[in-house]
Order: sequence, then C-alpha cells, then structure tokens
Amino acid sequence: MSVPQYRKAAAVALVAGLGLSLTACSTKSDDKGTNAGGKVTITVDCQPVGAQKELLKNWNDDVAEFQRLNPDIVIKSVSVGEQCNNPPDFTARLAGGTVTDVFYGYMTDLQQVLDSGQAMDITQYANKDAISTWDSVDPVLKEVFTDNGKLYAVPVKNYSMGLVYNKVLFQQAGLDVNNPPKTWADVRAAAKKISALGNGIAGYSEYSAGNTGGWHFTSLLYSQGGQVLTADGKKADFNNAMGKQVLQNLKDMRYGDNSMGSRQLLQWGDLLTNAGANKVGMFIGAPDATQAIVSQFQGKFQDWAMSPLPGQDGPAKGTLGGGEGYFFKKDLTPEQVKAGLKWIAYQKLTPGKGQFDYVRAKPQNYPVGLPQPLLFANGSDAQKQELELRKANANLDTANFALFEATPVPIKGEPRNAQAVYAVLDAAMSGVLTNPNSNIDALLKTAEEKVNQLLAAES
Amino acid sequence: MTTILVPETPRKPGRSPSPYAARTQRTSLGRKVRDNLTGHAFLIGAVLCFVVFSWYPMVRGIVMSFQRTRRGETTWVGWDNYSRILADPSFWPAWQNTIYFTLLALVLGYAVPFFVAILLNEFRHAKGYLRILVYLPVMLPPASALYLFKFYAYDPSEAGLFNAILKALHLPTSQWMQSPEMTMPAMVLASTWMNMGGAVLIYLASLQNIPGELYEAAELDGAGIWKRIRHVTIPQTRLILALLAMIQIVATMQLFIEPLILANGAGAEDSATSVAYLIYQHGFFQNDLNGAAALGVIMLVVLAGFSAAYLRLSAKQD
Amino acid sequence: MAQDSGTRTLISHAQLRRGRGRFIYWALLTIVVVGFTLVFLGPLYWMVTGALKSGQEIAQTPPTLFPNDPQPQNYIDAWNNLDLAKLLFNTFYYAAGAVLFQLVLDTAAAYSMSKLRPIFGNVILSLMLATLMIPAMVLIVPQYVTVIDLPILHINLLDSPFAIWLPLVANAFNIFLLKRFFDSIPEELMAAALMDGATALRTLWSIILPLSRPILGVVSIFAVTAVWKDFLWPKLVMPSPETRTVSVGIYAFAGGTPMNVVIAASVIAAIPTVIIFLIFQRNIMSGLTTGSLKG
Repeated sequence: MSVPQYRKAAAVALVAGLGLSLTACSTKSDDKGTNAGGKVTITVDCQPVGAQKELLKNWNDDVAEFQRLNPDIVIKSVSVGEQCNNPPDFTARLAGGTVTDVFYGYMTDLQQVLDSGQAMDITQYANKDAISTWDSVDPVLKEVFTDNGKLYAVPVKNYSMGLVYNKVLFQQAGLDVNNPPKTWADVRAAAKKISALGNGIAGYSEYSAGNTGGWHFTSLLYSQGGQVLTADGKKADFNNAMGKQVLQNLKDMRYGDNSMGSRQLLQWGDLLTNAGANKVGMFIGAPDATQAIVSQFQGKFQDWAMSPLPGQDGPAKGTLGGGEGYFFKKDLTPEQVKAGLKWIAYQKLTPGKGQFDYVRAKPQNYPVGLPQPLLFANGSDAQKQELELRKANANLDTANFALFEATPVPIKGEPRNAQAVYAVLDAAMSGVLTNPNSNIDALLKTAEEKVNQLLAAES
Repeated sequence: MTTILVPETPRKPGRSPSPYAARTQRTSLGRKVRDNLTGHAFLIGAVLCFVVFSWYPMVRGIVMSFQRTRRGETTWVGWDNYSRILADPSFWPAWQNTIYFTLLALVLGYAVPFFVAILLNEFRHAKGYLRILVYLPVMLPPASALYLFKFYAYDPSEAGLFNAILKALHLPTSQWMQSPEMTMPAMVLASTWMNMGGAVLIYLASLQNIPGELYEAAELDGAGIWKRIRHVTIPQTRLILALLAMIQIVATMQLFIEPLILANGAGAEDSATSVAYLIYQHGFFQNDLNGAAALGVIMLVVLAGFSAAYLRLSAKQD
Repeated sequence: MAQDSGTRTLISHAQLRRGRGRFIYWALLTIVVVGFTLVFLGPLYWMVTGALKSGQEIAQTPPTLFPNDPQPQNYIDAWNNLDLAKLLFNTFYYAAGAVLFQLVLDTAAAYSMSKLRPIFGNVILSLMLATLMIPAMVLIVPQYVTVIDLPILHINLLDSPFAIWLPLVANAFNIFLLKRFFDSIPEELMAAALMDGATALRTLWSIILPLSRPILGVVSIFAVTAVWKDFLWPKLVMPSPETRTVSVGIYAFAGGTPMNVVIAASVIAAIPTVIIFLIFQRNIMSGLTTGSLKG
C-alpha cells in the first residue's frame, strides 16, 4: 500500500483512539479565581434543585443581590441534587476533586474531607471582619469543624432530634395536640390510638435500612441515656439494658400493638413520603423534617408539630444532634476564601437575610418559626435578633414547637465511624421490625460483636 | 479461559495465513513492518481503551488494596485492608447471599428463558406478539422495573398485588422483602422478569439456525419430544448455552441494583447484602476506597478460581 | 395461515395439524398468550394505572383494578420535577456515542486480529478475552479512580460522556463476536481485493463491512442495552443532576418523591424505548438470527 494511504489508515485509528480522549480535556475547564476584570469568581454548591421552585428563586435572588452589593465577586451556583450530601456522590466529588470552591458537608464529614486532602485551613480568615456575626456563632459548632486547632468549615445549620407528630391525626384519634407524649410509654399508647384509625396509618414510624436505622437507633439510645460507643471509642456500648429497652419499645409497638404499619425497611424518603400523605402519626426527626415534608412530599407544614424527644420514664436523657457547614477547597486564593466567607456570611449567617429572611419566607409555602437552625449561642446578639424576627414572621403556631424549645435535651453528636456502625445497627433495627419472633438479646449481642470487630480492624 | 469461548468451527480460517501475511512472505522486510504497523494501527484504539480502563485498573486495584489514603497521603499498609474487610460483619452474609442468588438465578433465570424460547419457536401464531411481550420489561429502565416490584408486587400489606392475589386464592400471604427467607427468591423473580427478554431473543435466534433435518432424523429414530430436546436442541445450541451461562454467572455475581432498590440495601437482618453492595458501602459510604479495592480483588480471585474449575470440568467432558 | 411453514422445528407441522396435536397446540397457544399477557403486560398495566391513583388509593386493600379518581397530575409532576426530557436525552446521547465508539474501534480491532493478523495480535486477543471473566464490579473502584484522574494525561472524566463511552469500548465480548464473524468471511474475497491494490482500510470498508451488517446490528443492540441497563457506573461517574441517566435519575428522585410520581416517571421513561423497539423489532430479530449467534 502506498505511504499516504497507510498514513490515512493509521491516522483514522489514532484519531479514534487517542484524539478523542484528548478532546475530553476540553470538557473540564477550570477557571482560576481572578480574571482580567479583577473580579473574584467562586463556585458554591447546594443550590436548590428546579423542583424546589421557591427555594431556588430565593437562592438566585440572594445571589443577585449579593453580587449587586459586591460587584467584584461572581458567585457560580451548582446544584448537586435534592440532598446536598448524598454520601456516594459526595465521596465521588471529593475523590475526584470536583467539589466546588465552597462546598457543603455534614459535621460528620470532617474526617473524610481531611482524608481526601481537599480541605483548606480557614482559621486565619474566619473572624469578625469577614463574618460580622462570627462571635455570636455557637463555639460548640465551630469546635465540631475544628481539627488540631485548625478550622475547616463554617457551620450554617444545626439541629437536634425530637418527636415530630401529626396534629390532624392526633385530633382524629382524640389525642391532645398540646400535650404530646413525653415518655416512650406515652408514645406507645398514642401510636395505638392513631393506628386504630385504620387506612394504613402507622401510629409511629421508624427507619431500618440504608444506614438510617442505625442513625435513629443512636438517637433512641441517647434518649435512654446510653451511648453507642464507649468514651474512648474502642468498644460498642449498646448491648445493655438501655439498648434492649430501645428495641423492646419498637418490638412492642410493631408486633405487640401492630401500630407501626406493615411496610418496614424504610429509609429517609420512604418515611417522609408516608408522612406527607398523612399516613404517619409520629416519628423522630429534626425540625427540618417538616420542611422536607412540605417541599418534597406534598404535605402541609400546618399539620405538623414537634415536641422534645421522649425518654423512658421522663424527659429524654439525650438526643442526637448534627449539622451542616461549608468547607473550602484547598488551593483557593485568599481573595476567593474571603469572597466565600462573605457569601456565607450574607446568605447563612445574617439575621434578616438569606436563610433568615423570614419576611420573604412567610408568605411562601415554607414554615417560619421552626426552632432552628440554632446557630447562634444562647444570649448572643445575633440570637436575639434572629429570635425576634422569627417570632414576628412566624407562619405557624410557634406553640407547637414551644415544648421542644422550652425543654432542651442535652445534645450528643454521632459516634466515630458512624456509617459503618449504622450499617451494623440497621440489621438489629430491621430484625426487630420485620421478624415477629426476633430475639432482642441475640440481635444486640451480634451487633455488639460486629461493631467491636469493626472497631478493632479499624484501629 | 479463552478456549471455551472460541468456537471450534469446522473451518479454521485463523490457521491459514492471512492474505497479507501470505504476501509478505515473499516481500521485503520493510513491507512486513509496514503491514504489521497497519494491523496495529487498527488495533490501537481498542487496545488503548483496554489498557486504560481494564488492564491498568486491574493492576491498580491490586496495588490499591495494599495501600491506604489518609489525610491526602497514601501509604503501604500490607494486608490491613484485607483484614478489615474480612472482619466486616457483613462479609460472609454478603458472599452467602450473592452465591445463593447466583444459584437461584441459574435455576430460574437461566433455564426459564431457554424453555420459553423453545416453546415460542414451536408456535406458528402470535409469534411477534409473544416476542414483544417477553422483551417489554427489558425496555424499562432497571430502576423503574424494580420500583414496580417494590411498590406494588412486594408490598407486605394486603394492598400489595401479590398478597392480594394470594389472599384471593386463600393462600398464606408473605412479607416478601421483609422476610429473610423470601428476600432472595423475590429478588431472583424480579430480576428474571426484567432481564429474561434478551436471553429469550438470543435463544430464539439460535434455535432458528438448527437444521430441521436433524429433528426429522431424530423423529424417525423414534425420539420423543424430550429426547429430541436433549439430543438435538441442546447440543445444537451448546455454544450459546455455555456462553450465556458464563455471562449470566458473571452478571449475577455483581448483584447490586436489586438489593439497593428492593431492599434499600441490606434488607432484613442483612438478608439482601451482596458483595457488590458491600464494595459500594465501603468505597462510597465508609470512606474506605482501599477496603473496597481489597474486596474487589477477593472477588477477582474467587471468580478466577471458579473459571479455572469450570475450565477443568469442561476439559474433562470433551 | 402458517407464517413460516418452511422451517421444521422440534415438532413437525404435520403433527400439529392432526386432531389431538391440533387441540393441544391451540390449547397451549391460548394458555401461553393469556399467561404471557398477564405476566408481562399485566405489571405494565398496573404501572400505567397505578401512576394515576392517588396516594390514598394505592394503600387501599384490596388494590383497585381501575383508578377511581385518575390523577394525570402525577404524570405532569413527574415530567417537570424530574426533568425527564434531560434524563432521556442524556441516556440516548450516551447510548448513541457508545454505539459509535464500539462500532469504530472494536470493528477495527476485530478486523485487524481476524484479517491483518499483525505480530502479537493473538497475545492481545487472549489478553482481551481474559477480561471476559472479570466482572465490572471487581474493577469498579480502581476504574473509578482512574477515570477521575487519567494516568499521564491527568484529565478528570467525571460528568463527561467519555467516562461512559471509552470504558465500554474495552468490551471483549463484542470484539469476540466481531472477530468470529470476520473469520467466517472467506479469505478469497480479501485476496481478490488485494490484487486490485486496495488498502486495508478500503478492504474493510467496501468488502468486510457490507457483509457484516447483521453482526454490526448485534453489537449496536448490545451497546445500547449496556448503557440502558447499567446503573452503578453511571451513578458514580455522572454525579451531577444534569448528566444523569434515566435509571440513576429515577433512583435519585425516588428518595424524595411520592411513589405514584416515581411510577409515573418510569412509565414516561419507558415509552421512547418501547417505540424504538417496536419500529426496529424485525431488524433486531433478523440481526440476532443471522448475527453469528448460531451454536
């Protein structure tokens, strides 16, 4: 064959093989911070998705207003799904280095973010100059995002779990809306009455899959005064009277009274879907669960109220808390970090603006008056301001949450290695909720052995 | 492992020299080199893809399984990842479940399409209609098909379709995915329903290539229907049967989306956890990509052992 | 009335036309037609109507056969909230690209190994075939870290369609099918072309490919099916909502959506594929039949 023709053949194959992978280069462009016009550009994630119309509009309005006030900053919003931190996707972004410049994460994500090598130490930038309300932010929350004395994220939300209950179903079942259950025995009695309404309504509903079962087990255990791991984090600490009580309560409701519905193996969305359809009388959750019920699950926030987490014989001895923050990607320029902090300060930490713009939220289909996000330390200026605004603009009966706020329960964080531990505890939860003949002692013993094994292998 | 897959066709064109090769015997070295280069030029695209997305990841997987990344730094940790994976309480249940699913799927998912294809091949009417029917579920996105089962068929209350039917027939109802005993059979059922169309079409195609005289001859020898299936149909489709068996085993060992959707992952007391789901848990939930890589290597070793055994068995048979 | 009385199958036509055989034939046919309709079409009916039911009605015991109070709004919600148009577009885009890449690169490779047979060709073929036994799951983690940082080039392919297209080219099964088919094309044809001074590319283009339509069809079908059916890989390499495939999108969506809307989305998502299948049904079948899948 002649040389030119040979070349042609080779070229075709080469172009097909190599060239195309090179064009892939151009699919990812990284724009580095500052451009010619002296503007600082930062990308920020957790923009609401299209289906959350009002939230999205609020966000976009905030961006526009912020850019008007700061003409030298350009905010590029990125939406990463309805759940801003869906673990597999979050892992993917971290491992791939495709997180945005300023990225959303849970308090429990700190370790993973550090391991990925994507985090930036922002200790020197986070101060009163960058965020005017910084000194009012609860120091406990800052501590959560601190490792070895270095701060890696700005907290923007904080929650603790309580008992969420459906007022409509309470009334139908003849229960007093203003006197919600205070102990697990009360919960059981109420659940029995509510499920007696029939129609597939569960009096009390609980998770047992996708690691959410273990998550809620933890909270239930805290209410009994227990802990998942020993203080040194080396051994499981739930195979005891308190752990048994947690499972016994659930077993009694599930099979003793048949008041938890027949559908089990639920995870986050499953339970809230049922709740949105008014098929759930009570469940434990954070105040923002009611927000999700409204924005995603076609429910009405007016139907829901919240009380403190019940305990075994009185108020709960503890409850699970958690929260969210924004991390900063490594290698940002100081200007970008400052711009990012400015944006977070504006949208997340200024009473009257962004997430605290209660005047704007009031007529929208979102609850105002929820006892959250509890970002500011008790007695701080920002807290007082926020509280006043919230009360003035509340579109729901704050009385519904008064009990929750008036009876603060000590908050505990999630255990070390939470996801792996939760995966084990899921099995105990699913056992008790799907097997009428489950042996609680055996379930807990197995789970304990498994968690110990896991912790031993980890260290 | 290549031998079982390369067909022993009567004519072996591969053995005779290529027309290009034949020519080069008589031509210059330069020409030989050039022809070889042409051959490799055609190969390069696919080979590069194999290098980057198959061969290299395999080596990298093994390397990763002996490393750990912490705080952005990667260090050698010896067998640590393996001991952590072996200590994972779901490790053995995951293997049990996966193997159980694979075996069940072989009985149901493998045999059923073959017999359905034989049956359909006999019909002179409604052929096209039946073919489309069997293939319909394949056209649903897999997640959709599984939600269909999860929400309607396997609903544990009496509002569920299967339970409503069982109840109407005065049979005991089931908890389906909430019962550890039913979890795997229910998953195999859903998986077979949504996947069998492809296999049926492939079998149908290969059945149509069986020469009719073979059946006629068998019939003259007095062979009944079963005998004809055994002595004509199966031997005549042996290659495709063997091929699909391999493909199916490899596919079912990767059981993932069924537990993820039908059982929300682990199912009742770990009755749905699969090896693939465990890889996913470690890699993407538990901040443990290295452990996940180690589990991948274990899976590789198991499958290599399996195919070695398979090869030895099929070699003995021949 | 017999469609294809030409070919003899397991049971002879004569037997099916005679008294008892005829009765059994028709009885069996009726049972199969009814049974298959129930088994394969029934669930789809349930799906289409179930998506029209309200949340209350779905939980009703026993389930209702027809929706009492049809809620077409579910379909509208599904279409809008899920951005199904985008998801479907993505999926078809990935499928089309996968077909193109596999047809070009795998055909070239199979052709080379079958007809050009360069040095080490057999070694390469065995190395490729060796991967047949390696399920994608084994490689998912290393493959994933490779895709997020390609060796040497240091390109990140996350959210790029190449992350789906290129790994699919490394498909030993398709190369095996293609090579086997090319092997069955007589060498004499090649030799004749060579005499005329045709190049390797020209021979492939004007002699091999026209003869290989059926197998190219089969490879295309497999390529499309692979993209349509794959779940975990696209879920991992396409983390943004804008780049998701239908299956992954529905899964992500199901976490926060009432089930009738999820089912409505599933119905809509299936429509285009069903239409495509119905149009190409005959071609697909004849492709599979002639496409070298004989035993």
